[in-house]
Amino acid sequence: MSTETGGPTERAVDAARRPLAALFEPRGLALLSAGLLLFSFTFPLYGIIDVVGDPSTFLLVVAVTLVLATGLSRVVGAWTALPVGLGLLVLGLWMYASALPADVVAQQDRILGDVVSLFMGLSVLRLQMIELFALAYTPAPVFLTWYLVLRRRYVGAALVGGAALTFFVLTGDVDTLVALLGALGAVGTVGFGRLERFGGADRAVETMAVVLAAMVVATMLVSVVPGGTGTPFGLFGEGGTDTIEGSLINSDQRVSIQGSISLSSAVRFTVESPREAYWRTGAYDRYTGDGWVRTGSTLDYRGEMSGPQGESRIVEQAVTIESELDAMPAAWKPVRVSENVAGDTSVTSLGGLQPASAFTPGDSYTVVSRQPVVSPRRLQRAGDDYPGRIESRYTNLPASTPDRVATRTRQIQDGAGADTAYETARAVESYLEREKGYSLEVDRPDGEVADSFLFEMDEGYCTYFATTMVTMLRTQDIPARFVVGYTTGEQVDSGTYQVRGLDSHAWVEVYFPDVGWVQFDPTPAGPRQDAEQDRIEGGGDLGNVDDDPEPTTEPPSTPDRPTTNPSPATPGSTVGPIRTPTTDGDAVRTANDERGGIPLPEPPSREEAALILVVLAGVAAGARRLGLHERAYRAVWVRWQPRADPASDVQRAFERVEYVLAREERPRRDGETPRQYLAAIDADEPVERVYRLHERARYAGDVTVSLADDAVAAANEIVRERTGPLG
Amino acid sequence: MTDADSSTLEQESDDAVEAAGDLARRVAENVGEVIVGHDAEIEHILTAVLGRGHVLLEDVPGVGKTMLARSIAASFDGSFKRVQFTPDLLPSDITGINVYNQKTSEFDFRPGPVFANVVLGDEINRAPPKTQSALLEAMEEQQVTVDGVTHEMPDPFTVIATQNTVERDRTYELPMAELDRFMKKLHLGYPDSDDEAEMLGRVVGNHPIEDLSPVATLADLQAARTAVSEITVEEPIRAYVTRLAEYTRDQAQLGVSPRGSIALLRAAQARAALAGRDYVVPDDVQTEARAIMPHRIRTASADRTGEEIVGEALETVAVE
Repeated sequence: MSTETGGPTERAVDAARRPLAALFEPRGLALLSAGLLLFSFTFPLYGIIDVVGDPSTFLLVVAVTLVLATGLSRVVGAWTALPVGLGLLVLGLWMYASALPADVVAQQDRILGDVVSLFMGLSVLRLQMIELFALAYTPAPVFLTWYLVLRRRYVGAALVGGAALTFFVLTGDVDTLVALLGALGAVGTVGFGRLERFGGADRAVETMAVVLAAMVVATMLVSVVPGGTGTPFGLFGEGGTDTIEGSLINSDQRVSIQGSISLSSAVRFTVESPREAYWRTGAYDRYTGDGWVRTGSTLDYRGEMSGPQGESRIVEQAVTIESELDAMPAAWKPVRVSENVAGDTSVTSLGGLQPASAFTPGDSYTVVSRQPVVSPRRLQRAGDDYPGRIESRYTNLPASTPDRVATRTRQIQDGAGADTAYETARAVESYLEREKGYSLEVDRPDGEVADSFLFEMDEGYCTYFATTMVTMLRTQDIPARFVVGYTTGEQVDSGTYQVRGLDSHAWVEVYFPDVGWVQFDPTPAGPRQDAEQDRIEGGGDLGNVDDDPEPTTEPPSTPDRPTTNPSPATPGSTVGPIRTPTTDGDAVRTANDERGGIPLPEPPSREEAALILVVLAGVAAGARRLGLHERAYRAVWVRWQPRADPASDVQRAFERVEYVLAREERPRRDGETPRQYLAAIDADEPVERVYRLHERARYAGDVTVSLADDAVAAANEIVRERTGPLG
Repeated sequence: MTDADSSTLEQESDDAVEAAGDLARRVAENVGEVIVGHDAEIEHILTAVLGRGHVLLEDVPGVGKTMLARSIAASFDGSFKRVQFTPDLLPSDITGINVYNQKTSEFDFRPGPVFANVVLGDEINRAPPKTQSALLEAMEEQQVTVDGVTHEMPDPFTVIATQNTVERDRTYELPMAELDRFMKKLHLGYPDSDDEAEMLGRVVGNHPIEDLSPVATLADLQAARTAVSEITVEEPIRAYVTRLAEYTRDQAQLGVSPRGSIALLRAAQARAALAGRDYVVPDDVQTEARAIMPHRIRTASADRTGEEIVGEALETVAVE
């Protein structure tokens, strides 16, 4: 009868544990999980709005919606609230649709196509008027999820929240960590909710916590174990090394900035062109803080396109594809493509070309470009009378961009005495070339990339240089954009350039009124070419090397490669020397040598911290389930006795001895008096002594300090003799 | 073990407690001259006497209830009276009556048999309730009221009553409220065969009760009672007694009353004195509980007896 219930000592431990148990209330945990779910689908929108503007309105909307849901949950039944939620959604989408420009709305088939492509992984970042979209879309799922949770309709809440999260998973706007958090939130909402409704014992809550932790751990392990499929993903940074080309040249509408990167020496294509140029494959207008996105839709190529506004010259290039390429390199600005590919060509919203499907080796096409012909003087005079559409699109920065970027840019302006946009661009360009080293081995910074590169990093590669320069120019309201493509490549014959994967590059285009987009390249040319050259020479096993007879005598580009086409050597009188190749090279070497130390682990991001918390909670619950923490507590408790007043000292000493005896013999039964117990287990002298001292202290009220000392000393002796190292 | 250690362990009970224990042992030895076996019951009666309680002996006839009571009474030098309860016994037969004195022209009070230090109420359940209650008033109030005049009982005053468990149809069972006034209800039971043989040997010839002489004075008994009432009862013991009583109240229709708890504490004090200890330990409480609690419990169903409930209480209520 009394085997289940513990003795007096068990009860003492129970009492000490009670405050902990209050943390494990199913209702509280269900609400917490729902909060996690809400976070998982509002956070991506928050991040997106942060990119294009001020997120405070969005936060206000979310807060108001939460308050509304909380209020309604107390007074209105589910069948009234559901229409309210759906009404919010319809109203929001209608508001968004009615605010769209008329020409977009007119193309109804395009809208339908875009909706489909949203579900196929098109980022909502590419939506026009994304801020309005977020404000319109958010209230409905937030309202319904929170309302249903408060009404204890946990499954419904998880469904609504899960659907909202799924939308962003499909559009690719949540990263894996946030999606996992959302999934944990949904499972937790339902699981803890059921426990709350049907009366969950502590054990069930613990099991639930272990299940959630297992979800996290299993998700991470599955992609790490040998033979596991899927993209590796871990809590602390990704280990893979990509190529610059892979990160830059693709038909996606976005570029994410990566960490360490390598170069591929495979020949991609050859160009026959009367003039050398950067072979451009795409541009991006929207900066997200950690990557680039091209907004707007890509249209089919429909005949000759307009050239730059200012003076230009026609350059006809014949391109032969040497290995598979999902891009269409051409000098800026392409206006016409040859008939054989015209049907398969798309035009991006930024005027670039894109193949409808990837080219295969042997394909060829010709493209006619109109290169702007500009002189520094012309650019100096360009002024800042930007068209409104250009200015709003190309000077936009995430709200989270630190102010110090603008401050530093102004300092550079002042230092160089730059007054015009052109001078500012040259000053920033030369500043970056001078101050930052070139290296392919970089740790992807956690925060805002441009800010980190400008203030915390010493070296980087073209993506970092270009991103930082665009950001700096935009802080001064100079329209600029991020451009990717290939450098000129290696001149293998007169007017023939062989372009390899390692020639892939990112640079900057700056807009000048009445001129159009003009190229700037902030990446130090010397070290970059060195790095590329190393790769070519080291890559002797590649079949393409024999196409490359004199790699060193005729480098593909001169150190004085023009950054503004076509005026290589005519910097404006106000602009100092552009580059100092030798020092740059040295700087790279030195910096490289220093990169030997053990990198400090970066502090986990919020999402990582939340996941770690879930895992820790699961481990704690599991340990609790297995009684580990109690064992640990007991092991300390039985060995270490802090002194208090004599009466409690004796009591504690007695309980310690009882604990040891309980393990050695049997626990004292509930109704058993200490004397009966001693007689039953036939205790030896030291134990009997502690019991007698305890009896005097407890039942005779006869307790002195010396008696307490005696009891504690005897108890220590017994514990020391009879317990192993782990008790 | 050092000297300092041993001093902390020394049982430093005072002389009065020692004397009380001594007295009890002397009386027990004396009673043992007459009664063979039943050592536990003798101790129980003695702790009741020391704890200012009264005892009800319940059993079949002929197991020595009366002899036991008489032996105890004979061990003290106080007065001893015996009342044989019968169906026609009147209250005044117990308490006494006022008799008109022609010389003084006043009523003189002629005390009944209840005015003695030890009263043996034989077969108390044979008398009607009115008569029983005359004795019970004396037990509880330590006084008797006759014709509006209150007469104090002698001190010490102890009632040892017996009742038969056979011939139930011709008895008046004591009501719960009156049972409660007996500190203990004891069962003697038949002696085992060795004890019975020895007893038979003793009664051949002169009955040993005739030779029994007092071994304690009333003053001794009064001093012992005072010493017992001063024995230490610490908070854990009081709490334990309370928990036991609460358990019986939870488990039965009618549980142990606060009067029962008080009786248990007093008896436990006497039990400690018997062991020469000046403080009560849980073992004292447990020993006494089995004699003090069961008759105060009315169970909800006939399946469970008061004894069983007390047994459960002692087994499950934690000793702390």
